[in-house]
Amino acid sequence: MANSVHVAGVGSTSFGGHPGRTLQSLAVEAARAALGDSKIPATRIGCVFVGNFVGGIMTGQELLGPIVAADLGLKGVSAIKIEAACASSSAAVRLGHKLIEAGAEDAVLVIGVERLTGFPRDSLTTAMTAAIDQGTEGHAGLTFPGFWGMVMARHMHLYGTTREQVAAVTVKNRQFGAGNPLAQFREPVAIEKVVGSPLICDPIRRYDCCPATDGAAAVVLTREEIARQYGSPSVRIAASVLVNAPVRITDYAEITTHDGTVEAANSAYQIAGVSPGDIDVAELHDCFSIAEIVDAEDLGFFAKGEGGPGVACKNRVVINPSGGLLSKGHPTGATGCGQIYEVAMQLRGCHPNQVANARLGLTHNGGGTAAAVTVHILEAVS
Amino acid sequence: MSAATGTVQSHTVIRVPDKAHAAQAPFVLLLVALDGGKRVLGHFDRAEPPQIGSRVTAQAADNQTLVFRLVEKS
Repeated sequence: MANSVHVAGVGSTSFGGHPGRTLQSLAVEAARAALGDSKIPATRIGCVFVGNFVGGIMTGQELLGPIVAADLGLKGVSAIKIEAACASSSAAVRLGHKLIEAGAEDAVLVIGVERLTGFPRDSLTTAMTAAIDQGTEGHAGLTFPGFWGMVMARHMHLYGTTREQVAAVTVKNRQFGAGNPLAQFREPVAIEKVVGSPLICDPIRRYDCCPATDGAAAVVLTREEIARQYGSPSVRIAASVLVNAPVRITDYAEITTHDGTVEAANSAYQIAGVSPGDIDVAELHDCFSIAEIVDAEDLGFFAKGEGGPGVACKNRVVINPSGGLLSKGHPTGATGCGQIYEVAMQLRGCHPNQVANARLGLTHNGGGTAAAVTVHILEAVS
Repeated sequence: MSAATGTVQSHTVIRVPDKAHAAQAPFVLLLVALDGGKRVLGHFDRAEPPQIGSRVTAQAADNQTLVFRLVEKS
């Protein structure tokens, strides 16, 4: 019988600018908060996974697993860095989940961390394109805003999605971000400002893009019995899925449908025995405003093509009440753990933007061209 | 060298490039479904992108980024 896996505790730094902070100091801050929250002694941790995307490229620091474990005072643990671009730390959660489920470890500490602010824009763009296949599409000059610009142009062409519907995603998520003390952007933004902002990769404009963000988030995974033993404020992981998917824009049969998200979501719903209509709250990968529309469709919250008018309406599922990547920020390697932090707080009933009676939550995190996709379904423990 | 002709699936204009493409920006990038069924990424020979569904053609060469131009209507 597989163990029931719980998120026993969560911790996070604020997301935003942390000039002068090292990756290790941010990671340690989030990890200590998560360990304290879980009430589980650090001596029970057998594995430390550090999700990080471009720490080596941007800061010159590698070997984050052993360094962060040592800074936490942990000895004799299996500590490594996990990289899956913007899905690094949620991919690490999936691996930790497997270990706990199989009974191979009592407790696993997963930390996500990134430092992205304060660098020249071309350095940041170049670092992010490390997640585009440099043997093929990097050669043509494709960037991530370029990838999503192509998705947006085609979504508008096929389904009649309007410029204002896409901009409404940014407006909604900025409103949520205003209520989240951890968020990078705490000011609402008007739709006119979004559609009037400078073009980055047509038709994507500046306010359609998530910001460069520093931050760290951490979660402690354990089995149900241990969470009970220590009185952890835990939530249950009802499904943890990581899939690989098209790594090139030319691999997609249709670029407005992201196969990895569809596959990961369908597997997760099946494992958890739930349907999209059962989800109360979702934190999904809105790296660009159009991404929230495409993702919400691929996760089954809307039929394909209906996300444009759908996402800004009042729906059963509340999407990105943290402010999402667009407003809370996107410290790439930390984002996956940050999403789980947010949904765990919702299910524990103590989120600053609390969704009433939230019992079932979902996180969706994508790396590269939605090439590494995780979906987690979390359930409140009564 | 062989001609690659196909239909525009989507487009963007890369205005914020990576370092390797700084000298070329802004440039139009096209996703094209070739008539044989293969999908390719390439540049466009104009500053404004064509409409989705437009017919384009390029000379294919090894290890070089394709540059598409509009197929003139006969």
